[in-house]
Amino acid sequence: MSKMKSFMEWLDYRLPVTEAFNKHAGEYYAPKNFNFWYYFGVLASIVLVNQLLTGIWLTMSYEPSADGAFASVEYIMRDVDYGWIIRYMHSTGASAFFVVVYLHMFRGLLYGSYRKPRELVWIFGMLIYLALMAEAFMGYVLPWGQMSYWGAQVIVNLFGAIPGIGDALVEWIRGDYLISGITLNRFFALHVVALPIVLLALVVLHILALHQVGSNNPDGVEIKATKDENGNPVDGITFHPYYTVHDLQAIAVFLFIFCAVLFFMPEMGGFFLEYANFEEANNLKTPDHIAPVWYFTPFYAMLRAVTIDLGPFDSKFLGFVVMGAAIAVLFVLPWLDRAKSRSFRYKGRVTVLMLGLFVSSFIILGVLGVKAATPSRTVLSQLTTTIYFAFLLAMPWWSQAGIRNIWTNLNCWFWALLLVSISVSPHLGTNEVDGYVTATSVYGLIVAAFFFVLPWLVAGDSEKEEPKRVTMDGGMGIGKVILALIAVALLTILPLKASAAGSNYPLDQANVDVSDTASLQRGAAVFTNYCMGCHAMKFQRYERTATDLGIPHDIMQENLNFSGSAIGSLMEIPMTTDLGKQWFGVAPPDLTLVARARGEDWLYTYLRTFYKDPSRPMGVNNKVFPNVGMPHAMLELQGLAECAPGPVIAANGGERRDPLTGEPLLLDPCGRLEVTEPGKLTPEEYDQTVYDLVNFLSYTAEPMQLKRERIGLFALLFIAIFFVFAFLLNREYWKDVH
Amino acid sequence: MSNDGVNKGRRKFLIGSTAAVGTVCAGFAAVPFVGSWNPSAKAKAAGAPARININKLAKGEMMVGEWRGKPIYVVRRTQETLDNLSKMDDQVRDPNSAEPQQPVYAQNHSRARNEEYLVLIGICTHLGCAPQFRPEVGAADLGGENWFGGFYCPCHGSKFDLAGRVLKGVPAPTNLEVPPYSFESDHVLVIGIDEETA
Repeated sequence: MSKMKSFMEWLDYRLPVTEAFNKHAGEYYAPKNFNFWYYFGVLASIVLVNQLLTGIWLTMSYEPSADGAFASVEYIMRDVDYGWIIRYMHSTGASAFFVVVYLHMFRGLLYGSYRKPRELVWIFGMLIYLALMAEAFMGYVLPWGQMSYWGAQVIVNLFGAIPGIGDALVEWIRGDYLISGITLNRFFALHVVALPIVLLALVVLHILALHQVGSNNPDGVEIKATKDENGNPVDGITFHPYYTVHDLQAIAVFLFIFCAVLFFMPEMGGFFLEYANFEEANNLKTPDHIAPVWYFTPFYAMLRAVTIDLGPFDSKFLGFVVMGAAIAVLFVLPWLDRAKSRSFRYKGRVTVLMLGLFVSSFIILGVLGVKAATPSRTVLSQLTTTIYFAFLLAMPWWSQAGIRNIWTNLNCWFWALLLVSISVSPHLGTNEVDGYVTATSVYGLIVAAFFFVLPWLVAGDSEKEEPKRVTMDGGMGIGKVILALIAVALLTILPLKASAAGSNYPLDQANVDVSDTASLQRGAAVFTNYCMGCHAMKFQRYERTATDLGIPHDIMQENLNFSGSAIGSLMEIPMTTDLGKQWFGVAPPDLTLVARARGEDWLYTYLRTFYKDPSRPMGVNNKVFPNVGMPHAMLELQGLAECAPGPVIAANGGERRDPLTGEPLLLDPCGRLEVTEPGKLTPEEYDQTVYDLVNFLSYTAEPMQLKRERIGLFALLFIAIFFVFAFLLNREYWKDVH
Repeated sequence: MSNDGVNKGRRKFLIGSTAAVGTVCAGFAAVPFVGSWNPSAKAKAAGAPARININKLAKGEMMVGEWRGKPIYVVRRTQETLDNLSKMDDQVRDPNSAEPQQPVYAQNHSRARNEEYLVLIGICTHLGCAPQFRPEVGAADLGGENWFGGFYCPCHGSKFDLAGRVLKGVPAPTNLEVPPYSFESDHVLVIGIDEETA
């Protein structure tokens, strides 16, 4: 022990180790009434470390070139040992970063953590958020999938909206006449070197500024105002060990959720990894539906919401301005809030209502941003964008509870009028509007009415007395928290329901099961016999396939590898892209990832719904892929189907029926397919064959999926055990603190 | 808040056990990072056994193949060459191949499975240059009458005989390495696989 002590003395004489530790942890007094919301700062730094580590490891195998980027990501996912875990850690971490950062920012909003003297803490935080958005955007370009490419295309073209210099600026950013490998290279450099340095520097500034003024707390009370005889805040507690053990359990819970996503739903239903991004970038074809990743969608929705020109400015430029302003206004938040108290606990009722409206509008914008635009959704996004700005720009007036002045009236009424005009304008023109637009307009008018009466609400409102010392009763209590959640949920869901619309072609369920090895083996045989003539599987290796499917290597080589290449090689085909284009008009796509890009149900339905159509070059057409260029490759198995009169399927999936008899009306000339020239297989056998093939494609799209779930269970179990110990440790330290 | 009622023993135990479980978790978390440095499937496919056709290799000649990016020397030795090997025994550092520079089936006097064919990794054991094939007996620059043919490394002058054994008094410390290999047929050599059945 004394040796340790003398070493520390030696060290401290030369480097302020102990001093720095005490300043930032051992003797850093944090308010002892931190609640749930105060975990997200530390969680953000955990995610930051995760992103840095996994990012460094990814660069070891990633290839930043237009030709190699997509393949190198699949190389990481398949060929590099544990590469898929590292990649999923990074992709899940990107979304997790925004989850915790949004919650962290919302905490600041609730408790007034941006107020004097913490303005710089907030501004550094906003800069971190900005840098993070740039980092995330450029990182999303690197896998060079369709979404990477077209996302980059859209975002970079935004700068083209700037009058005068726009086009030149866009060209300069791209370094080319289109988004190309040159653009990819510079984004790679910025993503892995420049922006991480900026981010780290900003994080240091954020924490230094925070530790200079001390942390805020849910009551917004300054703990430094009440000190004990030693000069330490009475309501404070040293960060270490109390908050280190406190945060440890939160870290365990966070890691549990993080690993649950990572190992069991890494795509998170297309929100963390978009399906279209499993298709390689193609500069000649935009995906049917393009949407940014979820964390950008609120701002993307604002961009799309602007549809009017204003004087010399066109809607494109104004959309860009609105989007930029939405972020810029947040920077000045510390000077917009004029309430006496910091925390919303004491600010009065108007603040609570406004917060609810603001949060629900932001979530609605987020949801709208991932959906295709319809007239009703456009109106809703215009309304919620207005609410977003009204919350911030009218804050200097509505935040002064109990004050009545003419400016409050003018300001609130301005926003009310804007909301009314947005709600009414779709109904003024000669265009017919659907019920969804009307319902959305009703929502807009209700909110407008709220803004009309807001000046009186403000005048009649009053702030509660702020306590002198922090309170330990946990704030509003579980009942009110649930009420608040329900209120926000209603404010979010009702408007979205009102504007809902849209339909999809009904798909048959494939219900694939990649643990069914026999089915996978049959599927592999079908694939090599019927698909591999034209379609490659260039990211998957014969050897891996054989091993995973339990096929002996020599049988694989003899019966399933027609190329004569070594077992360790990729499943490529001799047909080049150019040749394919010549033959079919469109080069047959690589099928390694098709199940991830299109979905198993789509494939299963697609392969079973070819029908005779002499007007097409190949003599066949398809129900789910109209005017497809591919011939019916399994014609000899299924036989040829022809259109037959069938029921009309409505947008919601229902059949149109005869109102008297209840029988389906067979009005669609191609509502049903009938095999007129039978093939070698019965319809049931053919369905089974297609099922096997789709199952095999599901396997090749993510060959490690079974292993992933096995490792996932193991990881969750260990984190759960760790949580128990962290929980007990925290309880031991905190049991006497009150 | 005072420290009077603190149960130090329990705290110590909980700190220790939490740290222990945390360390185990961190250990597992490190596995992907360490494991991803192993040769990938691509590297393994590129490093798969290589076939060398020795059909056209004449007696006394050498050909160079490639396995895992390294030069593989195959020399078809004449009976005279083989007889000369024992004359070199007292000139070489490790005449009986005691150092593990070859698979067990090549740990013999000719350092080969089939004494006619010498198979070596053509990388000098000194600093990794590729030695030159110098079969001429009595080459004046390599020791005159003491030279019965072998390999000469141009980088630092290391010399090896026609079994890849390193001569005394040169910088290279050990014999040239014999890779794992086998004969798929009389004319096809497989480098990288030990079994005859490959």
